[in-house]
Amino acid sequence: MQLSLNEDQTQILDFIDSLSKPYSTVPMHDTSLALTSEELDRELVENGFLDVMAMEELGAVTAALVVEKLARLPFAIEAAASALVRPIIDPELPRPLCLVEEGKTAGPIRFLRPGATVVVVGESGVRSFTADEGMIAAAQDDTLYAYPVAFLKDLPAELRSHDVSAEDVLRQWRTALAAEAAGQLAAALESVKTYVSERKQFGRPLATFQALRHRLAEAQVATNGVYWMALKAAGTGDAGDAAMAALLAQEAAKRVGYDYHQLMGAMGMTLEHPMHLWTYRLKLLTAELGGRGRHALAAADALWN
Amino acid sequence: MDFAWTDEQQAFRQKLKDFLAENLPDDWEKFSEHGPASPALTKFAREFCAKLAENGMLFPHWPVEMGGEGLGPWEQQILAEEMWIAGEPRGGQYMNVNWIGPTLEKYGSEEQKTRYLKPITDGATLWCQGFSEPDAGSDLASLRTRAELSDGNYVINGQKIWTSYAGLADTCFLLTRTSDDRKRGITILLVPMDTPGITVRQIPSLIGEGDIHEVFFDDVTVPESARLGEEGQAWEIIAYSLRNERLGIPRFYLARAALDRAVAMLQERNDFSGEIVRAEASRCAALCEAARTASYAIVQKRVDGLQVGSESSSARFATVMCERAVCEFVVEFVPEALAGASPYLKMHHQRGIVAGVAAGAAEIQLNIIASEVLELPREPR
Repeated sequence: MQLSLNEDQTQILDFIDSLSKPYSTVPMHDTSLALTSEELDRELVENGFLDVMAMEELGAVTAALVVEKLARLPFAIEAAASALVRPIIDPELPRPLCLVEEGKTAGPIRFLRPGATVVVVGESGVRSFTADEGMIAAAQDDTLYAYPVAFLKDLPAELRSHDVSAEDVLRQWRTALAAEAAGQLAAALESVKTYVSERKQFGRPLATFQALRHRLAEAQVATNGVYWMALKAAGTGDAGDAAMAALLAQEAAKRVGYDYHQLMGAMGMTLEHPMHLWTYRLKLLTAELGGRGRHALAAADALWN
Repeated sequence: MDFAWTDEQQAFRQKLKDFLAENLPDDWEKFSEHGPASPALTKFAREFCAKLAENGMLFPHWPVEMGGEGLGPWEQQILAEEMWIAGEPRGGQYMNVNWIGPTLEKYGSEEQKTRYLKPITDGATLWCQGFSEPDAGSDLASLRTRAELSDGNYVINGQKIWTSYAGLADTCFLLTRTSDDRKRGITILLVPMDTPGITVRQIPSLIGEGDIHEVFFDDVTVPESARLGEEGQAWEIIAYSLRNERLGIPRFYLARAALDRAVAMLQERNDFSGEIVRAEASRCAALCEAARTASYAIVQKRVDGLQVGSESSSARFATVMCERAVCEFVVEFVPEALAGASPYLKMHHQRGIVAGVAAGAAEIQLNIIASEVLELPREPR
């Protein structure tokens, strides 16, 4: 058992910190529902941060750490699928990577755009194709989810099969989902914490009222649990750990999605405050892979048969 | 980062399991329904701990200079886990090796070390913790049990309550008030429980026989040499003790074992196929694992020689949540367990329901997280 970061991991997280510094806050007067940056994406790719899983001495835990770190940024980055799932399918697959479940391709798909690789996972195995314009229907302009999303109109006749089991991909997908949620949960907590510490009512900061303090403290416990379970799932590669991590991530997401906006009052309803950039990503993540119940059942299969 | 146990750690765990298999009686599960503070278990623990001591397994995590084997925090964790899921055959003696011994070593006088450490390392003595009072529970610093120094003796008057193990303990690690200063007016006295003037009354409880007591002190007189450290040093000493015992009991480990038992009972009667029961069981397991990893992160800090602070409150609250979930799962899906069908699950339930209260209430943990982990501005006092 060894749960502290090694030197390489610390260094990588430090690098990401300095690289992403210009992207750590929302640009002035920007009230977008979703924020993306081609430049940030390019810099991450060029510096190899999304390929750490395959590197010796780094591996899946480091990839999960990278995903968690990047998910804290207000900018949405397709990192989780690329960093934690792509390596076991085909490390050369072009990004962004869009993971969809076979038979459930009708929902909004994160990062879907022409040129994206769509990976379809299910009974027929793991198959992929490159999306082109004709296959994609845009989502409405003011979609709330804080990710760039689009819909698949239909699948091509021919999909490329990959030599990896659907179970393994599902496991990594759950881990990736938990790692991404962990970062968003941490950033959202940091953001609400700042607001309630500064905003005064009844002559004192909101954060001095115990009714809020305990809810935030419980959110901290949940966030910490998701962080550690995501890393553990990455480290053990165990299907049960991955399903439990995803389950906890979605449970925490549901809770803070309500609480944080509530605790910020009307400010939480505006786009002037960036809270929605994390909470509305979390909201879409709660739907991933069928939601909490499905992860719970997957965990039960893994833990007890 | 590596989430697997090393070969040495696995071997250490196996050694403990083997020892338990060899030294616990066949009817142990039923027997351990007697609470950890019951007369039956206390008597058993005196023999059992002596055997642990003979085999180097009572305090292997103590430094070599204290007679231990100098094994690290991971081994202390493994030891605690294996004992606790076995129903804690050490009874209340787990406190001796976790924090009383190390605290005496650091703050005790030579006389105190000579008198108290050997019975601890022999596995032959039981301590109780005289902390809570009728008006001083979570607000411990408001305690009022008074100790007046006169002619080289302390005369103690007051009352403690909800004291575990008091009925059979040999010595009390007692917090007393020696001046009016809220925290700096508290002093620790090591008080033999057979000192005249001490009256112990057992309070019947949900958590098992012999577990909760009231202790009355009426002109109890002990020599000045019974004081641990200086007058007013109690708060500092307790903080040190807590550093040795920051995480407390590894409740998440028993909660998970209890959950697995409950699932096995359901499977046995072909009642574990419904989606609701399966999903709920997984939720419990996930909470146990979250508490475990959060706790292990704290153990790692100790291994790395870092000061463990308020983040342990987060791990403790996570543990309370998993205990609660598992207790509720058992009652909902295996109700017969608490009515005789499973001594193990009843034992877990009785120990589990204490999780949010014992050793610092869950709400106090939340207060600590809010103030010290999240660094929110303090509440007005």
